[in-house]
Amino acid sequence: MRPFIAQISRDLDIAWQNRQDVVVMLGFFIIINALFPLAIGPQSPILQSLGIPIIWIAALLSSLTGFDRLFAQDVRDGWLDQISLSAVGLGWYAIAKAVSHWLTASLPLLLITPILALMLDIATTKLPPLMIALCIGTMALTLLGIIGAALAEGARRGSALIAILVLPLAVPVLIFGALAAAVEDGVVSPHLMLLGAMLALLLAMAPPVAATALKIGETESGI
Amino acid sequence: MTPHQNKRQPIPTSHSATICLHIEALTVLRGQRVVIDRLTHQQDLGQLCILTGANGVGKSTLLRSIAGRLPAESGDIKCHLPRIYIGHADGLAGAISGRKNLQSWAAVNDITVQGDNIEQALAGFDATGFADIPVQLLSRGQRRRLALARLLLAPSPSIWLLDEPTTGLDQDSQIRLETAIANHLLADGAVIAATHSELTSSSPKIHLLLEL
Repeated sequence: MRPFIAQISRDLDIAWQNRQDVVVMLGFFIIINALFPLAIGPQSPILQSLGIPIIWIAALLSSLTGFDRLFAQDVRDGWLDQISLSAVGLGWYAIAKAVSHWLTASLPLLLITPILALMLDIATTKLPPLMIALCIGTMALTLLGIIGAALAEGARRGSALIAILVLPLAVPVLIFGALAAAVEDGVVSPHLMLLGAMLALLLAMAPPVAATALKIGETESGI
Repeated sequence: MTPHQNKRQPIPTSHSATICLHIEALTVLRGQRVVIDRLTHQQDLGQLCILTGANGVGKSTLLRSIAGRLPAESGDIKCHLPRIYIGHADGLAGAISGRKNLQSWAAVNDITVQGDNIEQALAGFDATGFADIPVQLLSRGQRRRLALARLLLAPSPSIWLLDEPTTGLDQDSQIRLETAIANHLLADGAVIAATHSELTSSSPKIHLLLEL
């Protein structure tokens, strides 16, 4: 357990040193959200029904921006070489990367969402289901992201490739996430449960897939 | 940890108890090209092996294969010791300090750091003076010294896989590296080094020369 925690705290350390990245991503998230009311018009009744989907799409697009850096830096500076010989192992390493990425990229988005919900005229009673669905949904998206990042590692135009790999797979998360966030009363809905089931499935699948991709990918990436 | 650790097989030699690395008919491809062709090599505890040969002959490929970073096309590598790999890339994150890099390396390898182990490792390569500066601001040789400081933290005995370890090192650091290697060999460790420079001047004995 200690090596796993050490990997997470190392990533958090590095993320803290590069904290301007988070600011850029947050700016991206806010701007996407702000563009819709400008385009649709603030009075329009369409905006009210579109509020939750807009937040979901913005969250999806802004979390995509971080995935290309997820493994690239570790591969380039040789940390992956050290990890594959270490007590962590590539599977746990992939989970550690997902945890630290969620903490540094998705958690800030979640924290700022209530303010954006206000801007998009989403009723405060709808906030709890939206926040819980977003929390689970971003976790699932992060796990999809580590699969995409590991598969695209070493490829040219990696970020575009990750988008092409991850976005189609993210469709179910988007559908059930938006439905779960839009429930009328209460928080727990069948959609939320399905979202949770997807998270559980990805939690089991993503680490071995990412580890295998990293192991194969390094064959050609080694200098 | 090696996958072969638990199924150690007797190797038909007179001193099989001290063998720490056994490579049997190893063939490795890069792309479609055969880089290492049916290489057989055997190394004992306390031995230093220098890999020589022209550029591109497969020295780094061999070291990466032993480190488990390249799959072998055929053949077998048995290694009974923890492997410490120092490759072309230093394995240091640029954003954080050398000391933090070293601490996280020790932690992910589950090496318990006692007292001033980290300080001693840093001092071993005279890296204490720049250990708190973000690595991205350091010179090539300074980064190398931080990477090599890992060797002094590593569990003993272990096998060191060094790929051009002297790149960027000044005279003083080269001597420190030679001393570290000599001490490691005395403590029953093993070293495989691909190098073009003289590494062995202060080592007690040169052991093996593997011409690829």
